[in-house]
Amino acid sequence: MYKYDSYDHAMVADRIAEFRDQVTRRLDGRLTEDQFKPLRLMNGVYLQLHAYMLRVAIPYGTLNSTQMRTLARIARDYDKGYGHFTTRQNLQYNWPALVDIPDILDRLAAVEMHAIQTSGNCIRNVTADPFAGAAADELEDGRPWAEIIRQWSSFHPEFTFLPRKFKIAVNGATADRAGIRVHDIGLQIVRNEAGQTGFEVWVGGGQGRTPRLGHLIKPFLAPEDLLSYLTACLRVYNQHGRRDNLYKARIKILVEALGPEEYGRQVDDEWRVIRAGELKLPDAEIARIRRFFDLPKQVEPTPIPVTENRAFARWLDRNRRDHAVDGLSSLVISLKPIGGTPGDITDRQMTAVADLAERYGFDEIRATPDQNLILPHVRNGDLEAVWSGLVDAGLATANAGLATDIVACPGLDYCNLANARSIPIAQAISTLLEAEGLSEKAGDVTIKIDGCINACGHHHVAHIGVLGVDKRGEEFYQVTLGGAFGTDAAIGSIIGKGLAGEDVPAAIARLLHTYLEIRADEERFIDTLRRVGSDAFKEAIYADA
Amino acid sequence: MLTLDRTPDTHPVADAQLAAGGGLIIELPGDADWREARAEIAGAVRVDIRFAKFNDGRGFTLAAQLRERAGYTGKLRAVGDLIPDQAQHLIRVGFDDVDPDRKGLDADWARARTRFTHAYQPGRGNVTPLFHHRHNRPVDDLAAINARYRDMSPQDILRDAIEREWVGKLAILSSFGAEAAVGLHMMAQIDPATPVIFLDTGRLFAQTEQYQRQLTEQLGLTQIRVLTPDSDDVADEDGDNRLWSRDPDACCALRKVRPLDAVIGEYDALITGRKRFHGGGRMRLPVVERINGRVRVNPLANWDATAIEDYFRRFDLPRHPLSDMGYASIGCWTCTSPVEADGDIRSGRWRGQSKTECGIHTAAPIAAEQVAAE
Amino acid sequence: MKTVTANRLTDGRVIYRTATGEWTTELAEAARLDTDQADAVLELASGESHIAVGAYLIELARDLPGGQKWRREGIRLTGPTTGSTHAHATA
Repeated sequence: MYKYDSYDHAMVADRIAEFRDQVTRRLDGRLTEDQFKPLRLMNGVYLQLHAYMLRVAIPYGTLNSTQMRTLARIARDYDKGYGHFTTRQNLQYNWPALVDIPDILDRLAAVEMHAIQTSGNCIRNVTADPFAGAAADELEDGRPWAEIIRQWSSFHPEFTFLPRKFKIAVNGATADRAGIRVHDIGLQIVRNEAGQTGFEVWVGGGQGRTPRLGHLIKPFLAPEDLLSYLTACLRVYNQHGRRDNLYKARIKILVEALGPEEYGRQVDDEWRVIRAGELKLPDAEIARIRRFFDLPKQVEPTPIPVTENRAFARWLDRNRRDHAVDGLSSLVISLKPIGGTPGDITDRQMTAVADLAERYGFDEIRATPDQNLILPHVRNGDLEAVWSGLVDAGLATANAGLATDIVACPGLDYCNLANARSIPIAQAISTLLEAEGLSEKAGDVTIKIDGCINACGHHHVAHIGVLGVDKRGEEFYQVTLGGAFGTDAAIGSIIGKGLAGEDVPAAIARLLHTYLEIRADEERFIDTLRRVGSDAFKEAIYADA
Repeated sequence: MLTLDRTPDTHPVADAQLAAGGGLIIELPGDADWREARAEIAGAVRVDIRFAKFNDGRGFTLAAQLRERAGYTGKLRAVGDLIPDQAQHLIRVGFDDVDPDRKGLDADWARARTRFTHAYQPGRGNVTPLFHHRHNRPVDDLAAINARYRDMSPQDILRDAIEREWVGKLAILSSFGAEAAVGLHMMAQIDPATPVIFLDTGRLFAQTEQYQRQLTEQLGLTQIRVLTPDSDDVADEDGDNRLWSRDPDACCALRKVRPLDAVIGEYDALITGRKRFHGGGRMRLPVVERINGRVRVNPLANWDATAIEDYFRRFDLPRHPLSDMGYASIGCWTCTSPVEADGDIRSGRWRGQSKTECGIHTAAPIAAEQVAAE
Repeated sequence: MKTVTANRLTDGRVIYRTATGEWTTELAEAARLDTDQADAVLELASGESHIAVGAYLIELARDLPGGQKWRREGIRLTGPTTGSTHAHATA
């Protein structure tokens, strides 16, 4: 993984000194709250219902065991002993004091981490395929490009006060696991007819209040032009994105208003002028950054173990993924214990994951957009040892990709923007589906829950989405069906009026029962839904009403 | 009004006009289109861009476009609801100064504008993106190093250059001439294994070769790299051994410049012993400079003859055998003579000619880059 | 009845304004305000942004958060309703 050089260290240190100064100035009145707010947001600091929240960037979801141990220690020393992994491959602390945050940032900087631009109307942490560099279906590891973008976007003088936040995703595999079409800009690595790799550029996707899938505006962008082209994209957005209405400020609204062709034309007009300038990436720098992301060396091609232990076998079946290197596997560590809080992890669990990654996992850990963790490189001969370590840590839930692997935003239990709670609904659904044995039977299905329309929980792109709304002080939940994240991306459709919170788990259980009745052979839920339409499922959801 | 003084641009004409109460000042809102603004600002001596709200970032893009696309080179001022934390953003997109609505925060502005020493992106004020820095130290970086070295002793400069700035990628260039012992002695205290490049032109005084062996042994230098002219070239170009008198520049090129050019790519920086008191073109010598894309570090640039003399005495360093015979600067025997009583120190080199430098520290006419003076 | 709430600047914790113009973490110690007093007190409180961030009025019903935002304010008062991640992880 990437290692900071003296420049990177200096940049982060300068930034912390700046933030420490900003906190001091806020406390003594030289900065008003209105002025301080965007500055603290750009350092990952929110003010939530009960406390400040610090969102730590895990650039493109990659971290090592030293970093994970530091995250654990911060949870212990400055928080209540846990952290929360988000759908954007970040980690949130829910309880830090503002006055402690500069010290927390110092601790992060010591292990080459930061909270820079994890919030605010600027370019955010770049999303990447969590299996990058390990996946069997990969054309090229997208993370070197994500790192190049991370650096270019950090403290950008022109793009720090954008109309609204800006999210970029990079995917280098044939399957899209980064969500190329639901980001402001999605970069899909492709190979052209001449055999060169470059990027498809998708613009104007996003979730939130106005979910949209991105449009392809550049079928092939040469790698050395990446930063000049992104600059041109952002420049047109910064100048013409709406600033009169918060809800219409994202780039998707601009792209829709102009039309993707006209937006692309304006971008080209800017790009033409700056393309040959200083933003052209030197080959030496591309090569330097790529060297940090080498695959593990060849290993013994040990096969996947055959086991009599049913729990281990079940976990292997659900949580193991094929690796590009023969003899290695990637393992999903589910942060979705039955009835637990999706994405939460205690300090001791973080330490346990760090130990396993260091001992068996080439010192590498990934955070996923599903709020889980991955050990991307594990020798097949070590699978049982890793599983056994995860069992001890309470992290061996064998449900990766199942209906109990629920994604949920923090919702009204923590978040200032939420209208309704998400986590308790996720907990109740998980408990009921497991009790009825539905999770295992229904196979691959995604359930994602949001407590407001901002959709941090990605309900728009879930097979089964749940959106909490507030009606005169009561929580109601709308169900959407047919969304999909990544490959075959789709926005789900609302199927009818909202349900009371206590009715949601049973409604989803009925829906899955219906699927099991009408599915053809081993057809996945989403395929059945696409084949038969939503009527039968709608009927099941409201059967009790 | 606060100056964003990292910007190197100066506008003497505009400043004079403004000071005299004349000159057209145009104010643009942050959301102005640069194409429409271009005609409007054509005769302006100053353009003000107004920020209605500090977090409305359109003015940053507008400034960048006025500079990059409209070709506006006059004064650019940011006015309105701006906060000190935006100082560097303003500098880097091309503003010269700022007139913020909220007054009385000058100290915060001053601190903010020097907060970051590098940038990941290109920008005005000689800001070069880090990804270029990493592979090719640009001129503005030298300005920063020069600023850092300004008040440092030669010993500290050498230590910093050897142990921090150009670790493992630098060499010291020595003629083993009259003053060479000073720099070599300083270097030997830090790392006697630092490569020493010695240009043996084939025309050196026997005393210089003897002095080289003596100093090497006494200072414990372990890496002397002797460079000699290419023998085929010598046969072709100087078959009669008279090139030095026919065309001294060609002789220096053959015996010094080209041998050094052949190996210079192996080093990021060369340490030289040049000093300002040598006079001529050396009077404006910076401590660090770039010549034909390669860095020269001149740690002794500020030292005068007295300082050199004191150093020799303090450390009881051996003298070049020719020093006592009136040779103050020693090159090839063909082109070096003693200095007359009132002559400057290098006046014995190429006596009677306009030539003052051999060419190893001279920028090629086309590749010449702006030297970053202090 | 109404009262003024905010988050404490230094650590973000939920605070309420007392009748004597102090700030407290205990709802029981918060001022009980009539509708006609409330706006004036809020204005005073909003001027104390060096102590309290984002002051606003909440409704009280029988000394507990009431009105349409009762659930949100109830969660602010007593904490998340999600159960403890620690308890769950060690179960």
